[in-house]
Amino acid sequence: MLPLALLTAAQGKPMLVELKNGVTFNGHLVECDNFMNVTLREVYQTSADGEKFWKMKEMFVKGNMIKYFRIADSILDTAMEEQERARQSGRSRGGGRGGRGGPPSRGARGGGPGRGGPPGGGRGGGPGRGGPGGGRGGPGGRGRGAAR
Amino acid sequence: MSGRGGGRGGGPSRGGAPSGGHAGDKKKRESILNLQTYVDQSIRVKFMGGREVTGILKGYDQLMNLVMDEVVEEYENGSMPSRELGLVVLRGPNVVLISPTDGSAEIENPFN
Repeated sequence: MLPLALLTAAQGKPMLVELKNGVTFNGHLVECDNFMNVTLREVYQTSADGEKFWKMKEMFVKGNMIKYFRIADSILDTAMEEQERARQSGRSRGGGRGGRGGPPSRGARGGGPGRGGPPGGGRGGGPGRGGPGGGRGGPGGRGRGAAR
Repeated sequence: MSGRGGGRGGGPSRGGAPSGGHAGDKKKRESILNLQTYVDQSIRVKFMGGREVTGILKGYDQLMNLVMDEVVEEYENGSMPSRELGLVVLRGPNVVLISPTDGSAEIENPFN
């Protein structure tokens, strides 16, 4: 379970946000982004000492000042379901998380030796090609031809 | 001058109000906070370190640098007297919180 996935799943839900300086905000999460910047609605702010309270209609908080979010347990369930759904659709497209890493590396390793073969043959073929003055290996072929 | 400030602020981040909808289709991420809605309104901005200001938003950019007018600066716990700063440019990286003054007020403990 990724933190941002959980936070995204909590959009529209009530939550508590505590800042690094101890100030807390209770409100409904409107939106969040990848920096964990959040916008809240119908917010109750509590001072760090818990003595003073403010109400705000809406507010925006920078993610880098946030210590933690407290969210309802039920949101974890919905987030898990969403994650599962995302994984399923990802698999059907053939793009699993770790699944993709495997095959390419195996294919590359298998391709290595096979590709290694032709160069040997190519070397053998080089002089021959050089003879006709092949357009492809111009410099090499000509050089060898001149030495002979 | 205030009109220009607002227009510039809106330009880079969302290409102005008319093209705002099309900008959403592109890869460029829009801010989750549309500051255009607060332009020429009174807002409260908290900063790292405990200072906060209230004033009228005149302009902004995508780094959340703000231009505000009729700014009054206060210290969080009231340990310092408030200062009237007038027209100021506020550095985005130091901003912690933005909220409209409208509809916000100190209240009694709502959790009792």
